[in-house]
Amino acid sequence: MTATPFVTLLAVLLAAPALPGIATRAKSLLTGRRGAPMLQLYADLAKLARKGAVYSRTTTLVFRVAPVILTAGVLVAAFLLPLDGRTPIFGFTGDLVAFAGLLALGRFALVLAGLDTGSSFEGMGTSREVTVAAFAEPALLLSLTVLVLVTGSLSLGGMLGAPLATAWPAAAPSLVLAGASLFMLLLAENARVPIDDPATHLELTMIHEVIILDHSGPDLALVLYAGAVKFALFGALVVSVLVPRGRFDPWVAGTMLLAGLALIAALVGVIEAVMARLRMDRIPQFLVTAGALAGLAVILLLR
Amino acid sequence: MILVGTGLLLILAGGVCAVMLRRMPSVADRAFAALVTGGGLMAAFPAIATLADGRSRMVRLPPIGPGGAWVFGLDRLSAWFLFTILAAGTMIAVYGTDYLAPERHERPIAAAHGLLAVLLVALCGVVTSQAVVPFLVAWEVMAVSAYLLVVFESERADVRRAGLIYLVLTHVSTIALLAMFAGWGRNAPELTFGALADTRVADAPGRVILALALVGFGIKAGVVPVHFWLPGAHAAAPSHVSALLSGVMLKMGIYGLLRMMSLLGVLPAWWGWTLLGLGLVSGVLGVLWALAQHDLKRLLAYHSVENIGIILLGMGVGALGMTYGQPVVAVLGLTGALLHTLNHALFKSLLFLGAGAVGRATGTRMIDQLGGVGRWMPLTAVTFLVGSVAIVGLPPLNGFVSEWIVLQALLRSGAAAGGIRVAVVTAAGLGLIGGLAVACFTKVNGVVFLGRPRSSGGVPPVECGPASVGPMLALAAACLALGVYPALAVGPAMDVGMSIARGASIADAGLAALGASLPRVALLALTLLGLSALLWLVRGYLLARSGVATSVTWAGAGAPLTARMQYTASSYAAPLLGAFGAVAGVRVRAAAPGFHSEPIDLVLDGTVFPVWRRLARLAHEARLLQAGRLRWYLLYVILTVLALLLYLGHTAAAR
Repeated sequence: MTATPFVTLLAVLLAAPALPGIATRAKSLLTGRRGAPMLQLYADLAKLARKGAVYSRTTTLVFRVAPVILTAGVLVAAFLLPLDGRTPIFGFTGDLVAFAGLLALGRFALVLAGLDTGSSFEGMGTSREVTVAAFAEPALLLSLTVLVLVTGSLSLGGMLGAPLATAWPAAAPSLVLAGASLFMLLLAENARVPIDDPATHLELTMIHEVIILDHSGPDLALVLYAGAVKFALFGALVVSVLVPRGRFDPWVAGTMLLAGLALIAALVGVIEAVMARLRMDRIPQFLVTAGALAGLAVILLLR
Repeated sequence: MILVGTGLLLILAGGVCAVMLRRMPSVADRAFAALVTGGGLMAAFPAIATLADGRSRMVRLPPIGPGGAWVFGLDRLSAWFLFTILAAGTMIAVYGTDYLAPERHERPIAAAHGLLAVLLVALCGVVTSQAVVPFLVAWEVMAVSAYLLVVFESERADVRRAGLIYLVLTHVSTIALLAMFAGWGRNAPELTFGALADTRVADAPGRVILALALVGFGIKAGVVPVHFWLPGAHAAAPSHVSALLSGVMLKMGIYGLLRMMSLLGVLPAWWGWTLLGLGLVSGVLGVLWALAQHDLKRLLAYHSVENIGIILLGMGVGALGMTYGQPVVAVLGLTGALLHTLNHALFKSLLFLGAGAVGRATGTRMIDQLGGVGRWMPLTAVTFLVGSVAIVGLPPLNGFVSEWIVLQALLRSGAAAGGIRVAVVTAAGLGLIGGLAVACFTKVNGVVFLGRPRSSGGVPPVECGPASVGPMLALAAACLALGVYPALAVGPAMDVGMSIARGASIADAGLAALGASLPRVALLALTLLGLSALLWLVRGYLLARSGVATSVTWAGAGAPLTARMQYTASSYAAPLLGAFGAVAGVRVRAAAPGFHSEPIDLVLDGTVFPVWRRLARLAHEARLLQAGRLRWYLLYVILTVLALLLYLGHTAAAR
């Protein structure tokens, strides 16, 4: 047992809040504005942690517990990814199901917290959130299926680690398709353009932001932090699939991951600068396309 | 087997007590609950023993009527289902005493308790029969006693209608099974399962037998497209009976199919693919249709269709694993299916009991009229939430473990060689089912238990009594226990799976990997719980320093929010149902004052009734022929004779 899995995990968890900042900065530069500091989210988190919280009298314990469950679920999901290109903190056969399940658990908790407020805003946001999620889930499983078919392994450690590096050249077309599908899922699952616009100021057009309208103080800090880590996890999936790092030294692989995450965050910013968000009823089409890409990759492999 | 027999007799005695002592309600209720629980415990002992040591426990009784000896007994498969029935059944019976008590002066509740005992014993009889005749007898007793319980509130027309549809369908099922066993046992020396297993059936009749089994057991399990008796019957029955029907009785169809597989061994590939296809269709459509429901119990009923779909996915890939010589895939698929059967019995019973408690306390099952119930019924709300997280298949609860194993089987089939690889694409279907289930159960929990009451004026609901809350807590605890310590159930389920898919051994790499990963799953669940507790403490510490204020929910700059402004269940589900269009089974009315959607069953309302109405119209028009005039009838006779003569002449000429 080496230290690299723990060190990379720690580095990713510490660096995660910088990713939304990088995306915003990239967008600002391209649209000719100065934009917020890259490390803004760190300052926000520190400030929110010091603040008190305001709870609606409509809310119950569910509202208070949800941010904790969300964060815990995302963190445990992070334990399952081989961030240093080799070994996760703990992995087991079929842990990809647990990865998807833990993220879904966080969503379940956050959606219930939204409904707990009894607000029509939150009701609207949660309704949209579960719609997006229902279409994203099969695409995610199909993308992971591609990895299972390529590597023959059923654990994320094998699917994204050394076996993937060995199998990469032979299965490159499928893996590129899966990587593209995962990148589209990254945009959808992290409430990014073209699915959702984190910078929008009108509640009626929001998905993620409108669910957390009533969260404040440490609760909001937890939700924001969990969001940043989730962004990093999807980024890590995309990086791991497109750039197999299993052959490199774990330290190098870890550094590559951090660089890759920064690059992906910048790419997300570029997309936000050049694209508008989709109409709500177009979102399923976007996600079905993501699923179709992964499905195509599966068909290529089953041939 | 003596213990099982005594236990079942005790359960029956409980039913008799409930009827005999109906003049002393409190004594009768207690005697019923105690006898059923005691009998259940006693009968569960041999089941656990068989699951542990794998020894078959058989008893051979002399034949009653034709068909050879009446054999009863436990092997691993029977024991697994017997345990499932008793675990959920006893809890349901105890809850029932409290649930029915308010109706004591309106309806014969003693008879309902008695019938419930009969139904429980019949269910146990179905899974312990090892011969055709007692199996069919138990099957029929089960069907009829369940019918009588479904129409308990028989003064309501919709209840009678649902009961009738159920009664017709269950008899179609029985007839299919009669025909199946008649064909199968034609050349067997006697109609015991052991003798049937040794009887080889020729290819063509074998296909008919397998198809009849799909029909007969499929109807009982509620597989799409023969699911349509299920939502009505489950909604019409008293809630604890719905729990027993949905959590346990549907599984008799699953048991039947598994028993077929264990008796026949390797089956043709089309059977496995059919199971897999039916599982996919039932799973996706079941949850989609559940999402469209407004009646809490109908919603849960459609969710049973979904879960049966998940079980069939496991069985289908299991059967394919046997056909294509992939024992690891076979055992994983069957293990997942068996485990999901037990899990679903636990959490679906829990959810139906919770729905019953809500219905009792608020007087309605319509989701859109409820809201904020959790404030007044915290224990019901928490146990319902546990059941919801479990049924959606999220860690750290038991539903996750079984869906994890089914998915492993599907993914492993893709990594194998040969035609079975195509089965891997159904993994995406399971993902879709999971995503839709999240939508469905956030809707139920959010709209029923959270937010604010949508219909004002009524008295606030009250939490139900300990005899209701106790079983719900016990079932929720079981869901958590099997999620945190999965080895408890996975090990025995795997043994049962291996007893069906002969030829696999625990030493196979894939199965060893499953065994080895169980402690990791437990670790995952504990880490999740521990980390949550830690974060909760940190949050508490931070808030203790800076203080907490209460206010109203943020409403923008406008007027304060009212309960009517909340999202309703219809509007919550609208975007998803809209995206699925015509298959979503919902009629939308978006008029000026509000948005309303009306669920329709695409098979029952969309196909069966229209076809039936058209047939009835045709029959009506055909009545013109039979107008009661003698001259016309004579004309018919002459025309017929003429036609026959022409035919005869024609054939003679041809010769």
